[in-house]
Amino acid sequence: MTSTGGIKRWARRLIGALAAVGLAWLVVLPLWPGTSDSMLFTMTLMFTSIGVAINWNLTGGFTGYIDFGHAVWFGLGAYTTAIMMSLQSNGLGIGWPPVPAIALGVVVAGAAAALIGRATMRLKGPYFSVAMLATFVAMREIVRIWGGLTGGGVGLTLPPYLNRSLFYFVELALVVVLAVFVWWLRRTRVGTALVAIREDEVGAEMRGIATTRLKVATFSFAGASTGLFGGLWAFQNTFVDPDIAFTEVRTLDAIMGTMLGGIGTVAGPIVGSAVLYWLREVLWANLLDLHLIAQGVLLIVIVLFMPRGLVGWFDRRGVAVTDLWQRWSRAGRDVERSDTDNPAGDRP
Amino acid sequence: MTALLEATGIVKRFGGLVAVDDVDISVAPGEIVGLIGPNGSGKTTLFDCLSCVQRADSGAVRFDGEDITRRAPHQIARGGIARTFQIIRVYGALTVRENIELSASWAGLGLRRMLSRTDPQTRRRADQLIDFLALGPLRDERADTLSGGQRRLAEIGMALMSEPRLILLDEATSGVNPTLINEIKDRLVEVNASRGVALLLVEHNVQFIAELCERVVVLDQGRKLAEGAPADIMNNPEVIEAYFGAAAGDGEHGSSTAAPSTPQGPNP
Repeated sequence: MTSTGGIKRWARRLIGALAAVGLAWLVVLPLWPGTSDSMLFTMTLMFTSIGVAINWNLTGGFTGYIDFGHAVWFGLGAYTTAIMMSLQSNGLGIGWPPVPAIALGVVVAGAAAALIGRATMRLKGPYFSVAMLATFVAMREIVRIWGGLTGGGVGLTLPPYLNRSLFYFVELALVVVLAVFVWWLRRTRVGTALVAIREDEVGAEMRGIATTRLKVATFSFAGASTGLFGGLWAFQNTFVDPDIAFTEVRTLDAIMGTMLGGIGTVAGPIVGSAVLYWLREVLWANLLDLHLIAQGVLLIVIVLFMPRGLVGWFDRRGVAVTDLWQRWSRAGRDVERSDTDNPAGDRP
Repeated sequence: MTALLEATGIVKRFGGLVAVDDVDISVAPGEIVGLIGPNGSGKTTLFDCLSCVQRADSGAVRFDGEDITRRAPHQIARGGIARTFQIIRVYGALTVRENIELSASWAGLGLRRMLSRTDPQTRRRADQLIDFLALGPLRDERADTLSGGQRRLAEIGMALMSEPRLILLDEATSGVNPTLINEIKDRLVEVNASRGVALLLVEHNVQFIAELCERVVVLDQGRKLAEGAPADIMNNPEVIEAYFGAAAGDGEHGSSTAAPSTPQGPNP
C-alpha cells in the first residue's frame, strides 16, 4: 500500500517536473536563434488544437455529452472576427481592431452555445451528438449562403498581421490558463457535479444538482472558449472560408486527441492532442497516402489496448472510452434518464 | 398533526397502462411508513411521482404545506426529500468519499461555495458516515469497484448526507447481507429518533417493514389495496390474495417473488 503510494507520489513529481521543463522549453523556444517562423506557426496550430480539445473534454469528458459538432463554435468565433475585421474591405464600414473583433467572436460563440445548448442538451446520447453535427453543418451552410456578410464560398480576407511569436505566446498563455482553470474546476463541488452528470444524470438531479443549468453553463463556456481560439486562428490565418473555418476535422481531432490522452481527465486532452498533432506531422511527411489508415489503426489501438488513454495509466479519475461508448449508446433508450428533462414524457 | 408529505389522487399512465391509479398517501413528520405490493404494483412509479422524476398525470403532492407537484427534481431534493433507488445510482467514476460529499445539501449554496473544494466540516461528516456504513477501507476507491451491497450502503449514505426531512427508500435492503440489513435498520431508527427524519420505504422484506414501520400502505395494480398497522396488514386476506394470487408471472424482474420469498421474510 505504502510502496505503491510512494511510487505514485514520485511518478507524480516526475511528471510535474517534466511538465515544468516542457513549459520552460516552450517559453524560450521563440527566442532560440534556430527557430523558424514556420516552426512557430506549427506550434501555434498545435496549441489551438489542444485548446479546442480541452474545451471538448469539458462537455464530452466531464458531463459525458459527446459533441460531434464542436467545431461550430470555432467557426463562429473565426467568422465573427473575420467579418468585423474586414468590414472596410467589404465596403460595410470601418474595420474593427483585432481585440474587440475577437472578443465579439467569443461573445457570439458563447451566446450561440447557450441558446443551442439549451435545446440540444435536452437530448441524450446519440441524439445529442447528431443534433450537434446537424447544427454544425447547418451553420456552415448559413455562412456559405449569407454571402453579403460572410463573403459566401469565396471567404473573407483579413488585414495581414504576421507576428508569429506574438500569436505563439498568446495561445500558449491561453492554453496554460485554460488548463489551470480546468484543473481547478475539477476540484470544486461544481467540477465533481459535472462528472456526476456523466455518471448518472438522474441520480445527480435527484440529489439536488441543477443538472440542466450546470451542463448548459459548461457547454456555453466551452463554446465561448473555442470561439476565442477560432478568432485568433482567423486573425493569424488572415483568411477564412466556410470549408476551412467549419471543418469537421477540428471536431474529430479534439475527440481523437482527448481519447488518446484520456477522456474526462484534466491532462488527457493536452497530452493526447500534442501527441496526435506530432504523430500526424510525422505520418503526413512519411506516409502521405496511408496517413488516414494509420489514424484508423491508432483509433483501434486506443479502444482495444488503452481505453483510458495515455494519462489513464496514472490517473484513474477519467472514463474508459469503452464505458463512455456503452453509456452513450444506451442513453437514448433509458427511460428514467430521459425523463429528467421531460418529466411529462410518458414512455413505458 | 399535519402531514409532512401529502399526495392526493396521484394518477400515472403509460399509454394504456395505468401504473398508479388515484392513490392517496401521506407521511407525518418523523413517521416511518412502509409501501408494499407485488411486483408491478406501481410502488416505484409512485415514488417517481412523489420525487417529481416523473410528472403525475393528475393529483397533487404537498411537502411541508407547499405544493411541489410541478417542481424540478433537484428542487425537491433541496427542499429536504432524499431518495434511494431500486436500480442503484452511484457515480461510478467518483470515489466513495466524493459520492458522499457531493450529496451534501445544495440548498442555499452560493456560487462561491459551489466553486470551492469541500469544506472540512462537510468532509468530517462524510468521513463519519462512511465509517458508520463500514465503507472506511474503500473511501478512496472508485464507486464502480464496490459490490452491489456496498453500493446500496453508499447510496443510503448519500441520502443521509443531505440531512433530509424525509427519505424515500426504494428497496434499501435488496442485495445487502443480513448483518448489514440490521445495521441499516439501526441507523434508520437512530436517524428517525434523533433527528425526526421521516421515512417512506418500498420494501419486499416483510420483516424489515414489520419491525420498522408504524403504518403500511399496500398497492396492487396501481390502486391502494389496504392501509394500517403492519400486523393487521399481514393478516389481511386481500393482501395475501394479491401477493399469492397476482404475483405469479407478473414480474418486473421476471420473477414471481413478493414478500414471502425474500431471505428475511417470514411466511405470512
